[in-house]
Amino acid sequence: MQGEALANTEDFGGPDPVTGPARAALAGKDAPYAKYDLARAYDEMFAPDGRPRPPYIALDSRLTSLALEELVRRQQACEQSFLHQGITFTVYNDNQATERIIPTDLLPRIVTAGEWERIERGLTQRITALNLFLRDIYGDGRVLKDGIVPREMIYGSKHYRREMRGLPVPHGSYVNICGSDLVRNEAGDFVVLEDNLRVPSGVSYMLANRDVARRAFPGVFRSMNVRPIEHYPLELLATLRALAPFEQDVSIAILTPGVFNSAYFEHAFLARQMGVELVEGRDLLVNDNVVYTRTTSGLKRIDVIYRRIDDDFIDPLIFREDSSLGVSGLFNAYRAGNVVIANALGTGVADDKAIYAYVPRLIRYYLSEEPILDNVETFLCREDKALKHVLANLDKLVVKAVGESGGYGMLVGPHASQAERDAFADKLKADPENYIAQPTIQLSTAPTFVGDGVEARHVDLRPFILTGTETKIVPGALTRVALKRGSLVVNSSQGGGSKDTWVLSR
Amino acid sequence: MLSRVADSLYWMSRYVERAEHTARVMAVKLESMIEQQPEDARASWARVVEALQDAHWDDLPQDAPAITKRLVFDRENESSLLASLSFARDNARQVREALSNEVWGNLNRLYLHLSGINADAIWVHSPALLFRDVLDEMQALEGVTYSTLSHGEGWYFLELGKYIERVQLLGRMLDVHFRQGGVTPKYFDWLVLLKFCTAFEPYTKLYTASIKPQKIAEFLLFDPEFPHSIRFSIDRVTEALARVAPGAPPARRAAVERLAGRLKASVDFGQIDELMSGGIAVFLSDITRQCEKIHEALFASYITYGAETVL
Repeated sequence: MQGEALANTEDFGGPDPVTGPARAALAGKDAPYAKYDLARAYDEMFAPDGRPRPPYIALDSRLTSLALEELVRRQQACEQSFLHQGITFTVYNDNQATERIIPTDLLPRIVTAGEWERIERGLTQRITALNLFLRDIYGDGRVLKDGIVPREMIYGSKHYRREMRGLPVPHGSYVNICGSDLVRNEAGDFVVLEDNLRVPSGVSYMLANRDVARRAFPGVFRSMNVRPIEHYPLELLATLRALAPFEQDVSIAILTPGVFNSAYFEHAFLARQMGVELVEGRDLLVNDNVVYTRTTSGLKRIDVIYRRIDDDFIDPLIFREDSSLGVSGLFNAYRAGNVVIANALGTGVADDKAIYAYVPRLIRYYLSEEPILDNVETFLCREDKALKHVLANLDKLVVKAVGESGGYGMLVGPHASQAERDAFADKLKADPENYIAQPTIQLSTAPTFVGDGVEARHVDLRPFILTGTETKIVPGALTRVALKRGSLVVNSSQGGGSKDTWVLSR
Repeated sequence: MLSRVADSLYWMSRYVERAEHTARVMAVKLESMIEQQPEDARASWARVVEALQDAHWDDLPQDAPAITKRLVFDRENESSLLASLSFARDNARQVREALSNEVWGNLNRLYLHLSGINADAIWVHSPALLFRDVLDEMQALEGVTYSTLSHGEGWYFLELGKYIERVQLLGRMLDVHFRQGGVTPKYFDWLVLLKFCTAFEPYTKLYTASIKPQKIAEFLLFDPEFPHSIRFSIDRVTEALARVAPGAPPARRAAVERLAGRLKASVDFGQIDELMSGGIAVFLSDITRQCEKIHEALFASYITYGAETVL
């Protein structure tokens, strides 16, 4: 009952929970954290002694005063709201299409001002170097001549687009919208796990999760000086506008694969929030190298396309001819400079697993700076010394095929049998250039509401980086959560969910 | 406005109208059948099925639950209430960015509500209640559609869908009641017809409670002020046509507006006494055919036109 009463005072702007009575609930011992596991990983909320870290004190005090049923009620209200808003993806099973929501956890993940400042500087540095790299490899190829990156890694990459050679892009920005995946390692440092330079998604969940957490913990939210993120669509619009060669009446469209795409909600959401047209391939046509949409009143010219379709599918005349999602002639219009496409085509060459390992060297090469954010330690099997190390430590490493994603062509050393490791070693020796290896990393854990209490679950962090004339990062991110106990897989297709990320101001 | 968006808004609205009509007819039918003799009820069900499905069922089930199941819950039946709502929602989802949160949210909730209903469980209490609830939700949807969307081109495409569908639905409902041959409707059936068209009270205000088929036909065909009359609906279609595709070339506009003008003249100058001697069916089928022509011209001029014709 006390929890219920407190819930009401908070909802009506009652006393700040931080000033409430001091109490000591220890992680792993007391409710609601009785089953909270402080294992090997760095925990976002609790110090190793089981006491909350300073940024989480307000949330902790709220959680220990709130009745469990109240949390359950808020969780259900949130799920209901997602379902009604249509924030769902569709799972096809036995001809039966089921709509599911991507689970959202009520509890916010908190990033301090200091941590954020470093992330922001680090990601800005990284995207600057990556854009310079893309301009270089589609231009003079200085980085190749200087032997920093092996030629065959670029020209042999299936994401390298010959068609882009010598083609200027606005402000030299190839990657206008980037979503980088960071993880926090055992030492508590943020490191980059992956750069998503093609068509990163998830930003609509960042915004939707904010509504959820703010509604669940209004008092805590108010007391903590959380930096706002609601201006993301505005920043995205400004970024896209800045790509047009003129300033007045820029006509912008989001190109979506359509309603069956799992990110369709996001495409429609961004179009509405920005007030731009949402188009499918069949709405566009190209005449005399100019792109038009078919409107009720006639044809209307389009100047900037924010595409949410992969390179391969964007123009059946140039790329995959079996694509029905794209627009015939779009690439020629692009080459003629009559339309801007964001992100530029061919950015995928810079985010594959092998190039990833070179990013720290690229930062040093282009910017003469030391990387602010580290990579996860990566062994390039193409390099002899690394290959020897990998072969000797197969039982401790994760080995990945360079061109693959989604867990294909991968060996998780610690979980594999000796026979599997031996078989993989042969593959490695036969084609070392196709493989990289990384140590298994313990993603940090964050408090997650699991129905009968609060437990630790592994999380990552995906901030969104916008680059037009300059780089901007809205102070927030999508925090993805592996909802299964002990799981390190945060992907929504494999039981992952997400939660709000609160970046604090100084 | 994107042609594809106009297309989806138009169809979304047609399906919503169809769903609302079905819900209302079901509510009225289930409420009224208690007072009918079995053979009258059966004739009445046959009329309802034909009006809602645009088809005659040779295998008309004996009991109301089985008929209701097919008319309302059967997804295989493309004209069922649930299928109509599902199509409306699919179209709405395609143009999510052209709708307000309120419109999408209401339609989505309504669909989720009805698709979660167990068709057998509604018979435990008063089955008509479900349809009254659905109607309340549909009226809320109509309210937010009116009040949260800008009344611009998109809204007029919704209007077109709604009223073109309404003319077709009313046309079929009147046809099954006024056609010659078959079982002649009784007094009670005429009363129910007014209720099917949400017209009972407006009718009595004009003609008092004296229920006369000719007056009913006159009211539902030609009343200029009642929203569920054919004339009122055609006036809205004509108005909406003047407001869509503002930048389209005059020749394209003329193709559609000429047809609408002709349709409007047919109802503006229609005389009920000329129709009563068997002419209603002919008149209705002419109106329906003209509506179909307008639909085709609308699509040809604004939505599916070939790009080569404008470049």
